[in-house]
Amino acid sequence: MFSSIEEVIERFASQKYIASRRIATVVYLASALKKPILVEGPAGVGKTDLAKVLALALDHDLVRLQCYEGLDEGKALYEWEYAKQLLYTQILKDKIGEVLVGAKGLAEAVDKIASQDEVFFSQRFVLPRPLLKAITSERPVVLLIDEIDKADAEFEAFLLELLSDFQVTIPEIGTIAAKQIPLVVLTSNNAREMSDALKRRCLHLYIDFPDRAQELAIIKLKAPEASQKLADEVVGVVQSLRKLDLKKAPGISETLDWVKALTLLNVQSLDQELVNETLDTIVKYEGDVRKAQEELKDYVRRVRARRGTTAASDKDLLN
Amino acid sequence: MDDKLVEFANLLRQNGVRVSMAESLDAMAASGLVGLAEREAFRSALRATMIKRAGELPIFEELFDLYFSGLGEIIKQAGQAVQDALSMSDQEFQKFLDQVEEMLKKQGKKLSELARQLLSNNSGQMEKMIREAARAVKLSNIERTIEENYFARALARQLGLEQVEQEIKDLREQIEKMEVGGALKAKMEEYLERRLKALQDIVRRYVRMEREKRDVKSREERQLQQLGEKSFYYLTEEELQKMNEAVARLAQRLKNVVSVRRKRYKHGRFDIKRTLRSNMECGGVPFKLRFDHRKKEKPQVVILCDVSDSVRNASRFMLQFVYALQDLYSRVRSFVFVAEIGEVTRHFREHDAAQALELALRGDIINVYSHSNFGNAFRSFVGDFIGSLNKRTTVIVLGDARNNYNLPHDWCLREIRQRAKSLIWLNPESKTTWGFGDSEMERYAPHCDTVEECRNLNQLYRVVDRLVVR
Repeated sequence: MFSSIEEVIERFASQKYIASRRIATVVYLASALKKPILVEGPAGVGKTDLAKVLALALDHDLVRLQCYEGLDEGKALYEWEYAKQLLYTQILKDKIGEVLVGAKGLAEAVDKIASQDEVFFSQRFVLPRPLLKAITSERPVVLLIDEIDKADAEFEAFLLELLSDFQVTIPEIGTIAAKQIPLVVLTSNNAREMSDALKRRCLHLYIDFPDRAQELAIIKLKAPEASQKLADEVVGVVQSLRKLDLKKAPGISETLDWVKALTLLNVQSLDQELVNETLDTIVKYEGDVRKAQEELKDYVRRVRARRGTTAASDKDLLN
Repeated sequence: MDDKLVEFANLLRQNGVRVSMAESLDAMAASGLVGLAEREAFRSALRATMIKRAGELPIFEELFDLYFSGLGEIIKQAGQAVQDALSMSDQEFQKFLDQVEEMLKKQGKKLSELARQLLSNNSGQMEKMIREAARAVKLSNIERTIEENYFARALARQLGLEQVEQEIKDLREQIEKMEVGGALKAKMEEYLERRLKALQDIVRRYVRMEREKRDVKSREERQLQQLGEKSFYYLTEEELQKMNEAVARLAQRLKNVVSVRRKRYKHGRFDIKRTLRSNMECGGVPFKLRFDHRKKEKPQVVILCDVSDSVRNASRFMLQFVYALQDLYSRVRSFVFVAEIGEVTRHFREHDAAQALELALRGDIINVYSHSNFGNAFRSFVGDFIGSLNKRTTVIVLGDARNNYNLPHDWCLREIRQRAKSLIWLNPESKTTWGFGDSEMERYAPHCDTVEECRNLNQLYRVVDRLVVR
């Protein structure tokens, strides 16, 4: 566990994650108060990464549950393996016969079978899914419930019970309580509003796009091979793109992809043509691409106006 | 501190943020952990525990600033203003304060507590005293602007401002008699003068701030309410802007309602084939039951929007609404008409709202400067697009039915109604004028399932609610 906010920042940094004070405070509180964190924000700002890095920083195991429409208990918590149980009983028919040897009457036979109950209804036939795994793990765990907004409202209600008590009831076996309380991180893209009950139990963290300096620092950390100049230019372009009304604004992960792609192409500095060619790494919709190109043209024009006509080509103007 | 947090939670609630008991308890625990020394950490702790919606963050930030730094900040600013007015650097000011202190001691006159703190620039103590006085006069009850003066006077009286005034006046007279350098004397006099002004200023600003705290949300809400009742026809540019936001919110609400409703009947009938297949592993014993998923009925909507001059403002909003709707469902076809009819679905899909509206209203698709001719428009719709209608299609017509005495061709509407699931007509004109002059509403209405007057946002809200509930 963390002992202070500074420690969170430090340990995250050693895992190559730049946590702002705001993020660090929430993470620290979550670990101290043993409360789940609900992370919201636009796509590609490092919500999922936060959980992964948290696990690494604390040296916990990471258990991940990806949510989708139609996700149910069977896929999230546990499944009872009827088939295996059936197979066992069939194979062991003879053994069961031996157990029943000497039983007088039906009632005694049933009693004898009943005394063997725990063989038939044991952990052996439970197929643990992520949630059960997280609870029963011996080692401390970070549980990541990704894109909770994609799951149905019923599943959310079911999660509530788990998040408040950290125990689950399996009808065949009984109640299983958590060996240790996992650190839970829920992420949401805001496809729908979460219920108040769930929100009340969580600490809320809203991660927005990073500012210029932060983004530069992230690139430096994650893609150290990129030249300073290139990183500067890329961040400039991406930041100006985010101001547009795009269907999907480029996130940090897109910026990193772009920088990496450009470094791979051995590019030292951006120019108009190159931007147009590689624009699809950061902008993912047809309409957006058109808008982005429009904006970049404006951007160049603005820079040109500011600098006068001294710059020789577009190449220098994108800086 | 806990008291202050409870009060802050109350304040958030007054401004429309839902903060539960458990959440304020969390906030207390969290603030205990991070401590108060660092303002940003404290702020983050409260934000994480009390605010659960991204939309409520701005309110929180505003209130946090008002509440937790408010008075201290005001006092500090006032002190700074005095220093600036005397045009001294920090060091000089500190030295000057020491001189003042010394001078006060020499005078040997007993000053009131407030005056002493004021003159020695002790903002912490001052804050405490002002807060106590504020509690005594129940400043937290303030609600309206007109109460500001009353509370400012009450607070001043409680603080003993008059006494401080008198004391400072006496001090100035004594300084007058003292034998010190002319420059320093002038400075001191100015300092006293400015200090007194600063205190009055602090009281005034504090009262105003308290009032604003309680006003942030209600003000906005009132405005939106008024906007809702205003007819589409009489709107200024700025109000149009506001309205756009409201329509976008409406669409969001629609989206939420729809997603909840879609979930409800997820399972259809029992599916024998799939049940048998998936239970093969259990030797055919049906342990797991399988149901077929009910086919989601995707709403199909066809919208015919009148964009003639008479409904210009209204159609702008209707189109905005259409745009939102098209964003929401995949199967929306939108048409605009005046005398002829043209499809704008593709334009709406490819452009953002502002551009799309511009395109629809500019006259590239159809001639928007001709006289409206509903009959003709309907007839060409039936001629060209009737095939796109089926029993799952909802047709929405937005228009005032002012046909310029052309042939109404109401048989077209009957035709449409027979092909479609339902036909809805939204008319931006007041109900009382329907059927007068060249309005053909009476003739068209019998063919529609629903005919609604839709002149302002509240009526639109109502219509949407009814549409969604069905």
